[in-house]
Amino acid sequence: MRILFGLALALIAGLPAPAGAGDPIRIGVVLPFSGVYAALGGDITDGMMLAFETFGDTVAGRRIELIREDSEVKPSVGLTKTKKLVYQDQVDLLVGPVASNVAGAMRDFVHNAEIPLIVPNAGNNLLTGERCSPWVIRTSFSNDQINRGMGGWLFDKGYRSLYLLAADYAAGHQMMAAVKRSFTAAGGAIVGEEYPPLRETKDFAPYLAKIKAAKPDAMYVFFAGGPAIQFVKQVHDFGLKKEIALTGAGWLTSPLFLPAEGAAAVGFTGALNYVPSIDSDENRQFQNAFQEKHGRVGSEFTVQGYDTARLIVEALEITGGATDDKAALVAAMHQVSFTGPRGPLRIDPATNNVIQDIYVFETRQVGYAVKQVVIDKMEAVQDPPNGCRMEVGRG
Amino acid sequence: MTDLAQDRLRLAVAAVMAAAALLWWATAGFFGHELIAQVAIFAIFAMSLDLLVGTAGMVSLGHAAFFGAGAYATAGLTVLLGWPAWLALPASMVVAGLLAVVVGAFAVRLAGVFFIMITLAIGEMVHAYLFRSRTFGGDDGLGGIPRPDLGALGLTLDDPSHFSLAVLTLALLVYLGLRQVVGSPFGQVLAGIHRNEARMRALGCPVRHYKLAAFTLAGAIAGLAGSLAAQHNNFISPELVTWTTSGEALIVVIVGGMGTLVGPVAGAAAVILAGHYLSGLTEYWMFFMGLMFVAVVLIAGDGLQGALERLARRFGRAAG
Repeated sequence: MRILFGLALALIAGLPAPAGAGDPIRIGVVLPFSGVYAALGGDITDGMMLAFETFGDTVAGRRIELIREDSEVKPSVGLTKTKKLVYQDQVDLLVGPVASNVAGAMRDFVHNAEIPLIVPNAGNNLLTGERCSPWVIRTSFSNDQINRGMGGWLFDKGYRSLYLLAADYAAGHQMMAAVKRSFTAAGGAIVGEEYPPLRETKDFAPYLAKIKAAKPDAMYVFFAGGPAIQFVKQVHDFGLKKEIALTGAGWLTSPLFLPAEGAAAVGFTGALNYVPSIDSDENRQFQNAFQEKHGRVGSEFTVQGYDTARLIVEALEITGGATDDKAALVAAMHQVSFTGPRGPLRIDPATNNVIQDIYVFETRQVGYAVKQVVIDKMEAVQDPPNGCRMEVGRG
Repeated sequence: MTDLAQDRLRLAVAAVMAAAALLWWATAGFFGHELIAQVAIFAIFAMSLDLLVGTAGMVSLGHAAFFGAGAYATAGLTVLLGWPAWLALPASMVVAGLLAVVVGAFAVRLAGVFFIMITLAIGEMVHAYLFRSRTFGGDDGLGGIPRPDLGALGLTLDDPSHFSLAVLTLALLVYLGLRQVVGSPFGQVLAGIHRNEARMRALGCPVRHYKLAAFTLAGAIAGLAGSLAAQHNNFISPELVTWTTSGEALIVVIVGGMGTLVGPVAGAAAVILAGHYLSGLTEYWMFFMGLMFVAVVLIAGDGLQGALERLARRFGRAAG
């Protein structure tokens, strides 16, 4: 789909002209605009648009133009759309996707085509670990990065035993592995772990009964979307939070799901790279501008889109709007560092993953609203290389 | 129209499509070659299903399991075990064929809606296994699948134009091969089973053996398509094995014209190309795609190729 967001002139497909001053800078955007992650694709796009309005949509006389394609959350579709953007629309760089399986499908192609791909969500550790690429830059997070610090943090707060519960898919396992490693390294014990089938589990009661019987100090969970809402409500109705602390990866009570969860979400302690209540001028400005424009709270996904677009604009300013030398463009992205809504941010040249603060928050009732209140912060969390060796060429 | 005339018409349609594909190939750019490869792979998959559905009358909703088996076998053999890709391709057909023998041993005992249900169930089992499999990356999938090195033949398969030509050639070979199969005594027995299974059994025909053989052959060819898909994308994920992949192939077979082989090829091309161009025009392209399917099925109950043959018949009568 070719939607130009009012930023750009109409684009005629397949212009093979070499890029020069005055030509638009074409960014191919591969995000889900249909399917289960459509809301995330929308949030990221809205965040990017706001950033282009704020930081400028023209660099060195070249206007930034977005060409949007729907990945439908299908790897093969995402890959085909990526090829179309590169071969037919001749985009200068790519942004996307949301889901890790689509990212996996796009990875080899952009790696061989040597087109920079900025990933605004997909958290698969391998993407900036063993399967890292000089051309794949991630502005969002790795599954490890969000959860790794929480093992030690929970131990320091006096929790000695954890029960792990996550949806049975790759992301769920990666997140639980991260917290398991750090919690046991600190001296804690994992007393049990369960992985309910993804999207098929409607009734969590059997799992909650098991957790209750195991009597851990806390449970550490990861769910997102519909299951997150169901899980939060069922834990609340079960009355389990009175005996066992509810902790986990912060998406459980994302602003996208909080309105549906309501008061049932109160009492959850989570870790995430962004929450709307961060107390900083940058965040207040961002939230004011976003809420004024869209009438809703900007989520972590919105911020990931916003920071992605800002990284692109600032990198283009360093190269003077030049996009033909892709290596120089990526090198410019390594030079960029700024303080955004989620705090100081830069790209780690060793892995191409973002270095960012991770926030520990608690979901509390504030007046009539349920909010994520920041209670702690881990600064400049950086992933170890995790087997990443940057190799130019086939890999 | 006589059977001979019908057969000639099908061959003519196949020749026209092959010529059109070659012409398109010669003029296409990078992305055109990507689309050609995609169409050719889907056409191979659809032809293998047509052998089951159209010729033998076994409507399967789990055919993607064999497509996936071929793709995952290629990924497993090349990425995990380090086999060369040219060897992994036939090996993947064998793996898919073996899976089809095992599945078919149960499935061919059933007919009609029960056959649909068991194939659907087995397809979902394969999907569930791959979705959770740590070895194959679970739902995140597995990347880095190489394409065969055909440098000895002067081909660089990493080049989309060479790869699409190779896949196109394979699709043509599969068509010619399946045409032979359908026209052979074996194919005639399958057609007989399709028409009247009870009578075939009464004639002393070992119906189950024939059905199992058809199921296995279709599975192996679906495995070939899956292996090519894995090489084309350099990536596999459980998406390949969802029942909607099976459903899409079934739609292509029905819309193109069951039991004609060329029909499903035309259907595959139509679905992929329409999907690509419609999705560029509107966000609700699936709605229009659905309308098109409904229209084809209502107007031409026997699919595009069936409609063409009826037209030729009427024209032939008027002329003769």
